Amino acid sequence: MTTAPARSTDPVVSASGLTRRFGDRVAVADLDLAITAGHAFGLLGPNGAGKTTTVRLLNGLLPPTSGSVTLFGEPLTPASADRLRARVGVQTDTNLYESLSVAENLRTWGRLYGLRGAALDRRIDDVLDLLRLTDRTRSLVGELSKGMRQKLSVGRAILHDPALLYLDEPTAGLDPEAAVELLDHVREMMRTSGTTVVICTHQLYGLETLCDDVGIIAGGRMAVSGPVAALIAQRWPQPELTIDVVSEGERAAAVVAGETGTTPERTGGRLRLTLPAGGQPSAVVAALVRAGVDVAAVVPTQRTVQDLYFATIDAGQAREDTTEVAR
Amino acid sequence: MIDRDRVRTVMRKDWLEVVRSPQSLAALLVVPAVFVVVLPTVVLLLARQPGFVESADDVRPLLDVIPAGLLPEGLDEVQQLVYVVVVFLLAPFFLLIPVMVASVTASSSVVGEKERRTIEGLLYTPLTDRELVLAKILGSVLPAVAITWLSFLVYTVLVNVLGWPLLGRLYFPTWTWAVIMLLVVPAIAFLGTSLVVAVSGRATTVQGAQGVAVLVVLPVVGLVVGQAAGVALLDVPVALVAAGVIVVLDVVLFRFAVGRFQRERVLTQL
Repeated sequence: MTTAPARSTDPVVSASGLTRRFGDRVAVADLDLAITAGHAFGLLGPNGAGKTTTVRLLNGLLPPTSGSVTLFGEPLTPASADRLRARVGVQTDTNLYESLSVAENLRTWGRLYGLRGAALDRRIDDVLDLLRLTDRTRSLVGELSKGMRQKLSVGRAILHDPALLYLDEPTAGLDPEAAVELLDHVREMMRTSGTTVVICTHQLYGLETLCDDVGIIAGGRMAVSGPVAALIAQRWPQPELTIDVVSEGERAAAVVAGETGTTPERTGGRLRLTLPAGGQPSAVVAALVRAGVDVAAVVPTQRTVQDLYFATIDAGQAREDTTEVAR
Repeated sequence: MIDRDRVRTVMRKDWLEVVRSPQSLAALLVVPAVFVVVLPTVVLLLARQPGFVESADDVRPLLDVIPAGLLPEGLDEVQQLVYVVVVFLLAPFFLLIPVMVASVTASSSVVGEKERRTIEGLLYTPLTDRELVLAKILGSVLPAVAITWLSFLVYTVLVNVLGWPLLGRLYFPTWTWAVIMLLVVPAIAFLGTSLVVAVSGRATTVQGAQGVAVLVVLPVVGLVVGQAAGVALLDVPVALVAAGVIVVLDVVLFRFAVGRFQRERVLTQL
């Protein structure tokens, strides 16, 4: 059976009620997921949260205890998994073959994904050029630095130009320049080939510029999932401000509290506050000016994926603590 | 359906890893070198010395139990002793070489990949379980057979050259050994490797996986001892039957190895 090309709105990979237990331990619990073609999804979570198990389940390496996975519009089963994996590239922390050269590692991988002859040679050259490893083509992997191995493991995953790409901490061990180049290339793959990307990472900085959606997994459960901006707006619905005043910080705090009904957090001449529903930053500044307070700066707080991550993990931890106390 | 290119790719990768590992290479070459070069050279050089017949008292009883048709006509006692040692005592080691070589490479290629944390990468590729198991088996069997055949060639040249002054003719290989080399050796290498691969999914150390090869090595050792004692002498019909039986066992064990292979177990017992 051939698979129809996925429409851009169709999920390339989706999971429903995905659960995996190892004995009494629940590694992944009732996970729902849908990643649209050409989108990047950030799967975030602390160590042991269930990210690796999730990736294994989504690729058919582990059978779920319950629930189901659909890949390229087709149910992922033991019978279909090998065929469907031909369109998937996976970069994990698994090791490369150290006694083989850089080119031999890539050649092995390319052939396993059906690349042959001149097309394979060209593709290896392209990937090595992209990763700036051309001068190490004949080097044994055992002789490479950690960063170079990391680049090569990413190269192995993108060699066959997969429709779905899993990246596990792809920039770990890379110098900043190489990290930027790599993520730029991932964006380029998404733009030109419509590649769908799932990125598991702890390196949260700048993630919102790559990922359309994120999911934060903790204790095997997907705590939140969705578009980054929507999740941030949902978590912090009201605008937040930082106001720097020249002097009279205490009086400024009183003015702000009178105007908004919210007592700001004050550190010297710096006030931080969340505006109430309908509150406008301009009204707060106007009140301060009317009261004769010299305002040096007003900066709206920009919440990031990192803030969302920590808030979600902390909230999950607090819930667990509460449950523990209730017991 | 099996994708032969993918199977060949994994086999080639495994073989490159073996030949670039000094430890693996030494394990592969030392045993054949002893069987093929050292032992026959010592025996054939000693046979030229006076007093050889007296020093070969332990072998002489074998002359009495060997059926008439298995010994060439017209040999004197020294010639008979040399013939018995080369054909019936030393040659059976060629059944041990493929099992030992294959078990070294097979255990390294499956459990070794688990130990080196490379196997998960392979599991994410489109390789099917059947292709992976077949690649791991053939990747060990073919080098084992090649090494055995090469060893056999060296042995054949060596024993004929060193034996020429004593026997004045080419006397090895016999038809029995030709059949054994062509049919029994590949089959028994496949058997030993399949067994190692079948347990490798659950074994966590290379040594643990190699241990199971004893199940194949022991019957072969029994055969070697049987030859030495004159109890289980191989001739062409026996070799053909043995090859047939082992091929049947190969098919059964291969199916068992594929059925037993579970990605989950490989991953969770890293």
